Order: sequence, then C-alpha cells, then structure tokens
Amino acid sequence: MSNTTSKDATEMAASAPSPSNKGFPSPFDLETPEGAEGWEELYPYYCLISPERRELEESKFWFFDGMHNPVPLYPFDTIMTENWWVAASQMTHRVWPIPVAMGIDQRLVNGHIYISPNGITDPDEIAARAEHFTRRAGHYFENWDTIYENWVVKVKDCIQRLKAIQFSPLPELEPEKHVFEYRGVYSSHDLLKTYNRLIENMLEMGSYHFEMLNLGYGAYLTFREFCQGAFPGITDRTISQMVCGIDNLLMRPDDEVRKLATLAVEKGLADLVLVEEDPDALMAAMARAEGGGEWLEAFELAKEPWFHFSTGVGYDHSDPVWIDDLRIPLMALRNYVEALKRGDDIRRPTEALRKRRVEVTEEYRSLLATDEDREAFDELVALTSKVFPFVEDHNFYVEHWHHTIFWSKVRELADVFVAHNFLDDREDLFYLHRHEVNDALYDLLIGWATGSQSRGEVYWRPVVKRRRKLRDALCKWTPPPALGTPPDVITDSLAIMLWGITQETIDEWAGVDPDAGGDVLRGVPASTGKVKGQARIVTKSEDLYQVKDSEILVCRITAPSWAPVFSQISAAVSDVGGMMAHTAIISREYGLPAVVGVGFATATIQTGDVIEVDGDVGTVKILERANG
Amino acid sequence: MSVDPYILWLDHDDAAGNALLGGKFANLAEMMAAGLAVPPGFGVSTAAYRHFIAENGLLAEVEAVRRSACTLALADIKARSAELLGAITSAPLPVELEAAVRENYALLEEKSGERAVPVAVRSSGESEDLAGASFAGQYDTYLWIKGADAVLENLRACWASMFGEAVLTYRRQVEDEAMAADNAICVGIQQMVVARAAGVMFTLDPLNGDRSKITLEACWGLGEGVVKGDVTPSRFAIDKVTFEIIKREIVPQIEEYRFDPVAGAVGLVPLAAERGAGACISNVEAIALAELAKHIEKLRGAPQDIEWAISEVGDIRVLQVRPETVWSRHAGCGVVESAKSPVDRVLSHLTGVPVVGGGSRKGGL
Repeated sequence: MSNTTSKDATEMAASAPSPSNKGFPSPFDLETPEGAEGWEELYPYYCLISPERRELEESKFWFFDGMHNPVPLYPFDTIMTENWWVAASQMTHRVWPIPVAMGIDQRLVNGHIYISPNGITDPDEIAARAEHFTRRAGHYFENWDTIYENWVVKVKDCIQRLKAIQFSPLPELEPEKHVFEYRGVYSSHDLLKTYNRLIENMLEMGSYHFEMLNLGYGAYLTFREFCQGAFPGITDRTISQMVCGIDNLLMRPDDEVRKLATLAVEKGLADLVLVEEDPDALMAAMARAEGGGEWLEAFELAKEPWFHFSTGVGYDHSDPVWIDDLRIPLMALRNYVEALKRGDDIRRPTEALRKRRVEVTEEYRSLLATDEDREAFDELVALTSKVFPFVEDHNFYVEHWHHTIFWSKVRELADVFVAHNFLDDREDLFYLHRHEVNDALYDLLIGWATGSQSRGEVYWRPVVKRRRKLRDALCKWTPPPALGTPPDVITDSLAIMLWGITQETIDEWAGVDPDAGGDVLRGVPASTGKVKGQARIVTKSEDLYQVKDSEILVCRITAPSWAPVFSQISAAVSDVGGMMAHTAIISREYGLPAVVGVGFATATIQTGDVIEVDGDVGTVKILERANG
Repeated sequence: MSVDPYILWLDHDDAAGNALLGGKFANLAEMMAAGLAVPPGFGVSTAAYRHFIAENGLLAEVEAVRRSACTLALADIKARSAELLGAITSAPLPVELEAAVRENYALLEEKSGERAVPVAVRSSGESEDLAGASFAGQYDTYLWIKGADAVLENLRACWASMFGEAVLTYRRQVEDEAMAADNAICVGIQQMVVARAAGVMFTLDPLNGDRSKITLEACWGLGEGVVKGDVTPSRFAIDKVTFEIIKREIVPQIEEYRFDPVAGAVGLVPLAAERGAGACISNVEAIALAELAKHIEKLRGAPQDIEWAISEVGDIRVLQVRPETVWSRHAGCGVVESAKSPVDRVLSHLTGVPVVGGGSRKGGL
C-alpha cells in the first residue's frame, strides 16, 4: 500500500495544480457550504480527512456512499458507519482473508460519507492469503446451510437481548430493595451498564451482519463472471433473476399488508380502512366494528416482527419505521383495498415468477456450448441459490428488525436525558456522538449522586442548537460522486456488489459535470419499460408523503421498504445503485421502469419537471422544466 | 413423365424447401408456409433456366467456362466468359417460358391491385444459402422493376450474373466442383416492400458467436445500404432469452435507399434531417424483430441470418433467411477451462483468478 501511495504521489506532482487525474477533486479542495463552518465538531477526529496524512488522503479514491447514507450523518448515527468500517473490513482483511482485498476506508466530507476500498496487488501476499482463505472460506461454503441456521439463532437472540434493554430516569431515592439485597451497585451503575450493553449489542449485530456477506456476494460474483463470459453483455438483473429468492423476507411486510387488505374486504371492513386515515382512529373504529376484533388481532400479529421495517436502509435514525409510524403501512393498505374493490388480484404472482425463473435459467443453459460449461453453470446456479437467501434476508434481520429497535432504544435513553434536564427533546440526543453520550451520562450520574447541578444541564443545549444549524447547512451541499485518485482495478467484492463500483462507473462519473444541466442523463437500465411523467424528488424519507399518483420517483436510492410508494409511482430513478440494490428487484416486482446509478438525477431534475425514463437503455430525459 | 414447373409461387403447396426455387426462395417459401409475412411472389425455377440453356445449346459452353474458371488467372476470366454472357442476354427465350412469366406477372398485378406493380427480381442459386457458404451478395438483385418487359430483361441479367467474375471465382472455394458445374439458379419475382426501415439480423453475436443475443442492424429506407455497406446502420443487441435491449447505437443518416422517381430507379436519396437523426425503428419494433428472429431460428433449427423490412406503419416483412455460416461451422467453444467444484471456482474468483478461461468468447475467431 505504501508503494502505491508514493507512486501516485509522484504522478500527482507532475499533473499540478489539481492532484486528481481524472476530473475528481482532491478532498482538500472542497468548499465548506455557507453556514457550515466548523462542521467537523459533529464527528470524531478519526472520521475526518486529515492534513497530516495529506499524501495518503489524496492518493486514495473516495466515492460517495449515497446508497446507505444519502444525507449528512447525525453524530450519533455514525455508530452504523463506524460499525461496518471495522466489521465489514475485518472480515475481508483479517478473518477470511480475501486474497486481493483489504478493508474499506471511510471519511466524512462535509458530513457526507466517502468510502475507499483497499486492494492488494503483491502476488506473494495474495498467494499467502489465498492459503488461509481457501481453508476458512471453503469451510463456510461447504457447511453453509448449517452455519446460516445458526446465524439466525444468534441474530434472534441478539434481538431478544436488545428488546430486553430498558432505560428509565434515575430514582429520587435508591429503591429499598437494592439496599436490603446488599446489592452494592445502584441505579447509576445500572444506567451506565445498560448504555454500554446497548452499544455492544449494536456492534455485536453489526459484526454478525458481515459474517457471511462477503462470501455470499463472492459466490454471486463468480456466477456473474461466468455468465458474462458465456453471454457477453447479459444484464445484472437477468443474472440475479436466475438465483434470487421469490419469497425473500423483504417482501414479507408488504405481503402482510396485502393479506390485511384481503381480510378487511372479506370482513366488510373495506370502507373503514378507506375512510379512517389516522392510525389511532382506524384502530378505534375497528375495535367497535363487527369483525373488527379479528382484523385487529391479525394486524397485531403482522406487526411482530414484520413492521420493524424502515423506510430507509436502516442506517439513519430519522427514517420513519412502519411500527412507529403506522401511516406508512396504512397508506399501502388503502391502495390494496382500493385495488381489491376494483376487482384486481393483489397477490404477488409468485408462482409465475418462479416459473419464469426456471424458464430463463433453462434457456440460458441450453445456449451454452459445451458439457463442461453446462456442468459449471448448473453447479454455480445451485451454489449461488444456496447463499442467496442469506444475502437477501440478512437485510431484514439486521437493518430492519434489529436496527429499528436499536433506534427506539436510543430514544428511550434520550428520554432519560430529557427527564434530567439535559435536553429539550428526545431527538436532540442524535446530535451527540456515542462517545459524547458516555461523557454526558457520567455527568448525569455526578449530578444525581451529588445533588448539585450537572454541567450537562447548561452545556448540551447550545451544542445541539449549533450542530443542528451546521447539519442543516451541510444538507444543502451536493456531494460529488467521487474524490481523489481512481485506482487501476477495483477488487473488493463488497464494493462491486453493493455499490456497483466498476471501471465503467468511475469513467462515467469522471465525465459528468453536475452543473452542465444536460437534458439526457444516463444510468443503469434496472427494470424494463419507458414512461413519461412528472418527477418527484425524494431526498428524505419524510418526502415520501408528498408523492402523488403516477409521479416518477427520483431519489438518491430507493429502499425496499418504500413499497407503499411503489404502488403509486410510474417509474423510479436513483442517483446511486449497485447491482444488488433492491431498487431493481422491487421495480421489476411492480413492473415499473427504473434507471439506477444515474449520478446526479436528484441534483439535475426538479420536482415537477416532465421526464422520460427508459428502463431498457438506461436513460432519463428531461423534457420540460417545471420552472421555465 | 412429369415436367418440372417453370413457375412456382411462394405460397404454392410444393414450394417450401423445393430445390427448384434455389436456396433463397425455397427458404422464403418455407417461412411463408410457417405463417410468416413474406412479400408475395413467384420463382422462375431452375428448370426454366435449364430449359433456356438447353434450347439455345449453351450447356457445353457453360460447363467449359466453369471448368476453366477453376484454373484461369483472375485477369483472363472476364474475357473467357464474355461470349457466354452475350449469348445469355440475346438468345431467344423459349416461347412458352416467356408466356408463363408474363402471365404470372399479370397475376401478381392482379393480386396486388396495382398495374405495373414494382417487383424485386432476385437471383436464388441452387447452392446459395446452403449451410457452409452464404454466397452473400454474389448474385444480382434488381429492385423496383415495373412491367413484364423489364421483368424479362432482368430475368436474363440474373441468369447472366452466374457467370460474373465474382461468382466464378467465389466458386473456387466450394469443395464439390462437380456439383458446381451443373449449378442453376431460380429467379424470384417478388412484390416490392415500401420500407420505412430495413436491415439484417443475426440470431447470434457475429463478433463472438454468443448465441444468447440477437444482433440487429437497421437503416432508413430499403436495406440495400446495410447489405452493400454504404450506409452505416444503427445497431441493436437484444437478449434472446429476456428480450432486453442490451445495446442500442442510433447512427444518424443523411440519405436512404428508395425509389427515386426522377431517376426512375432505386438509389441513395436525401433524407429529411429530422427523420434521419432519429431512430429508424422503435425499441418495441426492435424487440418484435428479435422475437421474430428467435422464432425463425427455432423453425430452422440453427442460427440464422435474416433480412427484413418494416413499413411506415410498422408491418414487418421477412425478405430473406439463411443459415449463419461462420460460427455454425465451428465446434462449440466453452468458457470454463477445467473441471472444478463450484466452491473452488468461487475461491478462485475471490483470489483474483478469472473463472472464465481462454475460450473463444473473449478473443473471437
């Protein structure tokens, strides 16, 4: 790695003044958005671009991870990105180790996360790592089903322990019980310990998250390489169609809503669903209505665990979650009830999808030239189909089920700070980094123990106020897709799978000028069809409520849990999207044209613009501007 | 003894695959019998050609020219065949043959509802379009021919085209010379298609032999430009399984092949700038063509090379089908080099060793 750095540095010196050699700015050349001066205080020192390591920082290729974190991070939320910084990286570099790849680095630039995969090119080192890798990873592949079964057990146990965590304000006087049990440790210690358990629990799940993921992606990428060799130009969506699950867990929340809609219609409660838009009002009306009790029971059953479903990718505490904001699943419910009343069949055509998958796989197989190829194809289809349930379903267990509960527990803790007069609002706690929360918590214990005023009671409110302003200012910045120096080759399977980073993407980004305002944007054709319509820019989950029928969704990235919106929109466009981003899968499910990985769609297109999305070729045309 | 017919309509019960129609027309008759849209027409059969040669006592000379073409220097071939060409152009047509051509052209006029209906007069050789040799573009085709006299004139021209330098020398590569010596052609008389766009498609990727693609080239107007190569066509690659458009390159065009009333013939004429800048076929049409190609390949049981045209309103016509001759002759070349367990393949991939070996797909032929 040090070799690479010095070589690139030499080249850079030759091509002054800008150190980037392909049209990407240096991370040091970026301007701080107006009003955001001093934004660095929101984040720990190790997350920032550092002048002391200027040579290293500029030699690396940083790309914006708008897929997982489309907006500037809240200080507390960096627990998610910091988690994978270690958890994903250690799997690649230290646990398997994957011969050609080390971990993935991160930096926060104007509050936006940029990441950079580290590759290994020395053949001797690759060979040495390959030996370990073959033994370790080979064992996982051979025993995949058993290990995955165990994984689910571990993960559910972790979720149960998370659910058991509770925070409450410290008592005026320590309960007598603790005294006569000779406990020796009291509420103060409990609170501190519980906070530590919460953080550990999050990092524990964060570690499980990546236990099998690289290998799952590795199997898929191998199959993909085979298909691209045999059928040059075959699309990623076709490749994934041959191995993806029809009944993966991410479909379940929406399936549950479909079932609830069917039940409501069967019980003659359809009009109630359509009339009562407010969740509480609907529940109350159901409780009064004949047959409503049974429906409410079904509703409660569906909630656990399927409504632990984030409208984002799970990494941002502010993304609405179904179970906390029932308006979201109820919106979908109303759409399905209306569809049923029109006489539509709202069941997902799972049989047809399954049949189609078999047909497609069979047909490609028949187009192969040799028996050896057909054998390799069959075996790779079987292996990839075996690992795919994990690849798809981990997302529900980790990002949705676990992480949404995690955020609700953080809010419970925030209530303790509000109760002890540190903060005005529970949401304010997210302006503190988790390490700062540790300090604040100890400060709180001091005040409680001594009976004098904690400094936190006068310290944190101005900090939160200042940081909110800083973060709001950062939100106005449009992050360039990449910074620094592009690498010769991208070898990290996560980078390729999750972020779709390939030579082509880099070249495309390099040629794009966000200010050029061209009328045709290009991206990856993700779902077939061509549609014209008005654009609706959605950059925050709250924007989802604004979406109107037949609009074209234009976003940084679509999350699978945006299902309710998919039944309303006529097409989807996203700035970012790897081949495994769920936008493509969901769009196909709903039969909507989609173009992903467009780069600057949200910056170039405005709500109300008339655009044309061509999901066959991957273009988005701006036909008419809303503002002249 | 039954006499082979001089005229055989494409939609006749005996037409499909009949050797009397030559390769091209026998194939087209087969497509018509399978229910595909082929422009109506009839073939002046190989029997008619043989009758003409025999009646005029030209057989010995035909064989002599062919035999000498195998050994003569390229420069001498033209001189050697000049006399024969003259004879074919001027020798009297057998009366019953001329009558048959006039009668059937009149029938085509009647069927089309158009007097002096424009037709294509197309050569269809016996050994043409056989798997193994395409003879692509070697025999002549005359477009927009109107009236029986002009048809008869161009009929002779097609016959004569068998003795052009190109055909005589192309023939040297054909292994069975004995068969070649007695080779005959049928001449097809087929109603012209007024094409908004036309082109060629292969049911594989001609660059690497990948059979999961339909490769399509299209241009504005008649397809002559695509075949001749003087119009750069727009290109599409379509997945044969999913019908996704994998590649789409629209090439602007400033002129197109069509009937030029001033010249009274088909030629390159200017194309309205706005029209030429756009795509000559829509994505939906490209996909419909690909579906047609896949269907034809299935009917014929092997990769095909297909000429097509599409009318202003989007009606698709099949103009020619023939076996793909390049990749079909090569034994299948796989992508994996060695037997390996799938886990080993994944491990190799993650170790940085490519899964796909040095098979044909990457390097082409």
